Amino acid sequence: MSLVLQTLADGLVLGGIYALAAVGFSLIFGVLHVINLSHGILVLLGAYLALILSATLRIDPLLTMPMVMAVLFVVGYAYQRLLIQRAVDRSPLGSMLLTFGVALMLQNTMIWVFSPDMKNITPGYAFASFKLGPISFDAVRVSCLLASLVLLSCLAALLKFSPLGRVIRATAQQTLAARLCGVNVRHVYALTFAVSAAFAGASGIVIGIILPFSPADEGTWTLNAFVVVVLGGVGSPAGALIGGLLLGVVSTLTAQYIGPSFPNVTMFLLLVLLLLVRPQGLLGNAFAPSR
Amino acid sequence: MTEKPAAFIAVVVGCAIVLALAPLVLPPFYVRVGQLMLYSAGLAVAWTILGGFAGYASFGHAAFIGVGAFAAGLAEERMTGLPPALLLPAGLLVGGIACAILSAAVAYPILRLRGTFFAIAMLGVCHVCAELNNNIDALQGSLGLNFPVIAPPAWDPATFFYELYLAAGVVVFLIAWQIQRSRFGAGLLSIREDEDTARMLGVPTEHYKRIAFVASAVLTGLLGVIYAHSLGYITTDSVYRDDTNLSLIVYSLLGGMGTLFGPIIGAFMLVFITQVILARLLDFHLFATGLLLVLLVLSAPGGVLGLVTSWKLRRRAAATVPAE
Repeated sequence: MSLVLQTLADGLVLGGIYALAAVGFSLIFGVLHVINLSHGILVLLGAYLALILSATLRIDPLLTMPMVMAVLFVVGYAYQRLLIQRAVDRSPLGSMLLTFGVALMLQNTMIWVFSPDMKNITPGYAFASFKLGPISFDAVRVSCLLASLVLLSCLAALLKFSPLGRVIRATAQQTLAARLCGVNVRHVYALTFAVSAAFAGASGIVIGIILPFSPADEGTWTLNAFVVVVLGGVGSPAGALIGGLLLGVVSTLTAQYIGPSFPNVTMFLLLVLLLLVRPQGLLGNAFAPSR
Repeated sequence: MTEKPAAFIAVVVGCAIVLALAPLVLPPFYVRVGQLMLYSAGLAVAWTILGGFAGYASFGHAAFIGVGAFAAGLAEERMTGLPPALLLPAGLLVGGIACAILSAAVAYPILRLRGTFFAIAMLGVCHVCAELNNNIDALQGSLGLNFPVIAPPAWDPATFFYELYLAAGVVVFLIAWQIQRSRFGAGLLSIREDEDTARMLGVPTEHYKRIAFVASAVLTGLLGVIYAHSLGYITTDSVYRDDTNLSLIVYSLLGGMGTLFGPIIGAFMLVFITQVILARLLDFHLFATGLLLVLLVLSAPGGVLGLVTSWKLRRRAAATVPAE
């Protein structure tokens, strides 16, 4: 019994992190209708930045978050304004391939700069853990999960209550109508992208603390984000959270009870099942833009 | 050219004969490059039956290369009594059937998705097939699979496979050409342009999509069987390759999406660029492919054929203006 509970708890912790890693992808897809295949690269960029900053400034890696997010905000804004905006209004395949091209270039650059080896961010409390009844938690994972939940709530609040959030939601619903009401759509697109990149960077820090990472991992994180978004539904932090938790629980349960090499298979079968039963995702309307 | 099929076939056969004689004069390195060009062009045309004609761009066609290759290899292992000349046809048959079954089974859920969702779901199919193939011991994905030598002793193997790829490529090309000029092809085109309207006007879109998917998958699988024989020994990693998944899209994008000749032009160009021009810069490959992709999307979304068409249009416009 306690093994089941332990597996579930591990899955939920992992799921919270998947959710944070996917929320930017979801936002970009919901507002710009662009599948950002360079999302995994932005996640890794955050991880590498945190690695460098925490080593040079000698601070806790989670404290580098504001700096990393600021850097990626700027990067994301420029990236959207200079490159993606030129492909947004053409075919969806075009913008997807554009981001894929950028991902390939950046992955190669990362291999040159950071070497293709596995890296890991290790904070001082790396091996501390505590018990809650029969289930044990390590401090690192719990602090990372808390950071994810706080960030997701912040994003949800930003979208719901701030003027920027209102404008972003309006653009997502009806681009033309938003433009007629005086919204500068290009600026909103770029800001959305910047916010997404910042969150991807933040999730990169969390991922870097929990798991080893290398430039070759970017595909995994992009694909995970895609699965989370399809499971949960597009464009909302709540959808990303549901999808992420589901993915985390399913993949840890699979690894525990079926075999460590099959998480992709069950993940995909779950995806196909969901597409057959509820094609719009658990929350929201994932497939409206694709129809 | 669609009005004169006999002349068109004559031109294709003529080109094929010229290409078939090329290994007599080419140095060995270029025979290998030519092999890769013909293989890639065949795959690109098979991909375009679904991705170009119907607009369902698949990001996971390497799944069918892998399934075809492994099905053929496992079957041939059990048919050691057969003479070498019959092994390849037997392998092609088994590989083709395996791909047909897989694609028909996957088609129903997958073809409900459109656009980028379809593309990435296909990537998922490819990853799942690779993972299953790698982890189920009976399929020998991680152990590797040996293929019998099928080239006749008198032939140089490189030339033999060159001719084999050429023959397969011509067959795939003629099938794709027949599909494009048939009623079925017109149906696929209508699906690409506006699926909902096509369906409303009575085009059996679901049925057409499924047939195109299976046809494209089977042809890809057959090429995969030949590819596995030319390698001689395969593991999961050597057939389920993500760079193949990507290249298939890039070929069409480079040559001209949705056309019949575009994928061939694109495949020839890209193989030439990566194998000959960038041959010494292996570290640079990923970066160069990415850069090419970015430049293509930004400056030439219609590919080479798109540039030619717009150049022709501009010339015609320039020719008519002074006459007014």
